[in-house]
Amino acid sequence: MVQYNFKKITVVPTGKEFIDIILSRTQRRTPTQVHKGYAISRLRQFYMRKVKFTQQNFHDKLSTIIEDFPRLDDIHPFYGDLLHVLYNKDHYKLALGQINTARNLIGKIAKDYVKLLKYGDSLYRCKSLKVAALGRMCTVIKRVSPSLAYLEQIRQHMARLPSIDPNTRTILICGYPNVGKSSFINKITRADVDVQPYAFTTKSLFVGHTDYEYLRYQVIDTPGILDRPFEDRNIIEMCSITALAHLRAAVLFFLDISGSCGYSIAQQAALFHSIKSLFMNKPLIIVCNKTDLQPLEGISEDDMKLVMEMKAEALKTVIGQGGEPTDDDGVLLKMSTLTEDGVIAVKNAACARLLDQRVESKMKSKRLSECLNRFHVAMPKPRDQKERPPCIPQAVLEAKAKKAEETAEKEKRKLERDIENENGGAGVYSASLKKNYILAHDEWKEDPMPEILDGHNVYDFIDPDILMRLEELEREENVLQGLEADDDFEMDGAELTPEEQAALAEIRKKKSLLIQQHRIKKSTAESRPTVPRKFDKDKRFTSERMGRQLSSLGLDPTMAIDRARSKSRGRKRERSVSRGGYGDDSMEVDGEQANKKLRLRSRSASRSKSRPPGEVVPGEGYKDTAQKTKAIKMAKSSSKKRNKDARRGEADRVIPTLRPKHLFSGKRSIGKTDRR
Amino acid sequence: MRLEKCWFCSSTVYPGHGIQFVRNDAKIFRFCRSKCHKNFKMKRNPRKVKWTKAYRRLHGKDMTQDATFEFERKRNRPERYDRNVTENTLKAIKKIDKVRVDREARHHAKRMKGKKAQLHREAAKELEQSIHMVKAPSVLQQEPSLTLPKTKVKVSQPQTEDNRMEE
Repeated sequence: MVQYNFKKITVVPTGKEFIDIILSRTQRRTPTQVHKGYAISRLRQFYMRKVKFTQQNFHDKLSTIIEDFPRLDDIHPFYGDLLHVLYNKDHYKLALGQINTARNLIGKIAKDYVKLLKYGDSLYRCKSLKVAALGRMCTVIKRVSPSLAYLEQIRQHMARLPSIDPNTRTILICGYPNVGKSSFINKITRADVDVQPYAFTTKSLFVGHTDYEYLRYQVIDTPGILDRPFEDRNIIEMCSITALAHLRAAVLFFLDISGSCGYSIAQQAALFHSIKSLFMNKPLIIVCNKTDLQPLEGISEDDMKLVMEMKAEALKTVIGQGGEPTDDDGVLLKMSTLTEDGVIAVKNAACARLLDQRVESKMKSKRLSECLNRFHVAMPKPRDQKERPPCIPQAVLEAKAKKAEETAEKEKRKLERDIENENGGAGVYSASLKKNYILAHDEWKEDPMPEILDGHNVYDFIDPDILMRLEELEREENVLQGLEADDDFEMDGAELTPEEQAALAEIRKKKSLLIQQHRIKKSTAESRPTVPRKFDKDKRFTSERMGRQLSSLGLDPTMAIDRARSKSRGRKRERSVSRGGYGDDSMEVDGEQANKKLRLRSRSASRSKSRPPGEVVPGEGYKDTAQKTKAIKMAKSSSKKRNKDARRGEADRVIPTLRPKHLFSGKRSIGKTDRR
Repeated sequence: MRLEKCWFCSSTVYPGHGIQFVRNDAKIFRFCRSKCHKNFKMKRNPRKVKWTKAYRRLHGKDMTQDATFEFERKRNRPERYDRNVTENTLKAIKKIDKVRVDREARHHAKRMKGKKAQLHREAAKELEQSIHMVKAPSVLQQEPSLTLPKTKVKVSQPQTEDNRMEE
C-alpha cells in the first residue's frame, strides 16, 4: 500500500526549468562537434541521436511525474477523499492527463522528425530538422506549464499532510469550533496544536499518539464543524467530515457545557443529530468539556434533555455493538482540559471502547488464528477426588523401556569429548589420533616416523626387501670400482716426443702470428696506405729476411739470395742502413739521425706507455676522459684518409709522379681528350 | 608432507616454496621458484634450456639409467607401519645416496676424460699436416722425422761488415 509517502514524490519543475534542464542535458551528454565534411550517414546519425535523446529524457521525466503522483482510486478512500476535498479530484486528474498527452505528443514529434532526418541530405537540413524537433517539443512543454505548476503546488501540500494510518487504532475528536478539542489532544499526546480563542484555529487534521495498556493509539484532531447543509460546507469542514466518514475510529463528540465557545447546547445538539449518521458502527463517547466553568448538574432543563437525547443515541451505538450492560459512564463523560479533571478517564474510556470493538470484529472475522495468542485455555475444576490417570497401552510402555536402556548405554560409554573435557577442554588437550592404530606391536604406536630424509621422501623408498636389494647394489658397485681402476692405466699410447712437441709448438706459434697479422690488416684497412713494394717501411721484403726465413725452414738460402740480388734494379742509396743492424749503429751519426727521423715519424702507439689511453693528464687541457677520447677519435678519423693516401701529414701534398703515364696517354672510348 | 620435483628444472621443491599451477585438464605443474615459473609461462621447453636436469639427461651430461633410481618409486598404496622396515629403509637411503653420488662422479669423470686421447690424435694430425710451415718439403724428404730442421748459417752478417768498411 502506498502508505502515506507523499513525501517521496519527485519535484515537478516549472515549464521553463524543465526545458532548460532537458536541453542542457542533451547538450552535455551527446557529442557536440560535427563538420560538414563528414559522411552524410554520420551527420544524420548525429542529429537523430540528439532528437531521440531529448525525447527520451522528456519521456522519462514526465513518466516519473505521472507515476509518482498517487492515483486517487488506488489509495485508501480516506486519502482519496481527503485529496479530493483539498485539491479537487477532477482538476488533479486533468493535470496529470495533460502531462500524459504531452508525453505522447513529444514521442510522436520525435518519431516524425527522425523519419525526416533519415532523408536529410546536407548538414544544414539535418540541423534545421533537429532544431525544429526540439523546438516543437519545447513548445509542448510550454503549453503544459500551468499543469506543472499546479502539480508542484499539490506536491508541496501533500508532503505536509499528516501521516495518518487508516487501519490502526484511532480516536477521532469532533465538535463545534472552540469547544476544546485541540486542548484535549495537547493534554493526552505530545502534539502541540495551536489553541486560540478564535474559531477555526485548527484548519486541518492533526495527529498525535498516545498509549493505553501497552498499545499505541493515534488521536486525530479535526477542525470544528458548523451546522450547515452538506453542500455549503467549506474545505476545512470537509476535512473533518472525510475523516469521520472513512476512518474506523472511536469518536469523541465534544460538547461545551458552558457555552463559552459561542454556541449553545441546542446548536451543538443540532449538529450532533445532523452528523449522527456518520457515527454508525463507531464507539461514540460524548464528552462534556469545560466543566470548571459550568458543572454538568447545573445546566438548564432543556439542555439536560438534549444531552440525555444525545446520550441515548450514543447508547444505541453501544448496544448495537455487543450487548454490554448499559454503562452510563462509558458514554457520557465530563471533564475539564483546563483543570485536567477527567481527561485521563475520557481517554481510557475511549481507548477501552475502541479496543473492545476491534477485538469483537476480529473475533467475528475469519482471521481468528492471528489472534490466538490472546486466548486462554481453561482447565476444568475437579468435581470429586477420584483418580483418573491417563491410559497408556502396553506396547508403548515396552518401547519406552527399551529406549531408556539404550540411552543409558550411550551414557555409560566414554566419549572422546568427555576425555577432552576432563583434561582441560578444547584448547588445552589435543586428542591422540594414534590411539586406535592397528599395528603388529603396540609399542610402535607412538613412533615418530620421519617423512623426509636428505631431500628424499621416505615413503618412496619403503620396501620390505630393501636390504636384499641394497646388498645387490653394493656388490655391483664393487665390481664397477674394480673396472675403473683398470681403465686408468691404459691411456698413455700415442704421445709426442719432446722434439715433435717443439715442432708443434712452433707450428702453432706461426699460425697464431699469421692470424694476428691478418686481423691487424683487416682492422687497419681503412687507415693504412696500400703502397707498392719499393716503399717498404717495415723492411719486409729484404733479401736478408728471405734468407732468414729460408734457413729457418731448413733450406740453404745463398743461391736464392744471389739470384734475387742479380735480378734486382738499382735502389736509391738511402742514408739509412738496413734496420736490425748488428751492433754498431751508434757509430754512424747520419744513420742515427735518419733512424731517429724514421722513429719520430712513425706515430704508431708503442706499448711502453704506462697510462691508459683515455686518462686525462693535468697539463693537457682536457675536461674529462670522455672529452679526451673524443678528441683522440677525431684526430684518428681525420688522419685515416691521409694514411690511405700514404701522406706523411697534413702538409704533404707531394705528387710522386706529376704526369703518370696512364692518365696522360691513350685514347678514350667515348669523349674527347683535349683535357687531361 | 611430500617433497615434489619442479616440473621445469627437476629440483626438489621443499614445503613453503614455489608455486603450483593446475591446468584445466587437471594436470598439476609444480615450480620451485619464479625463474622456472616464468620460463614455463614463456612456453620454453625444458629440454632446450641448458641448466635444467631434463636437458642434461637428454644430452648425456648426467646419468640417465641406473639401478639407484629404481629404489625411489612413488607408491600409491600405503603400507602399514613396521618399525624394522622403517629402520632399514632409513639406513638404506643413506647408502643408496652414497652409491648414487659415486656413480654420478664416475660418469662425469668418464665424460671429461675422453678428451686426452682426442687431443693427442688432433695434435698428431696437425703436426703431420702443417709440418711444411716449419720444415721445407725437400728437407722433410731427406729427414722424414716430424721435427724442426737443423738451422743453417745466416748470410746477412758478413755483408753488413763489408759495407761499413767501405764507407
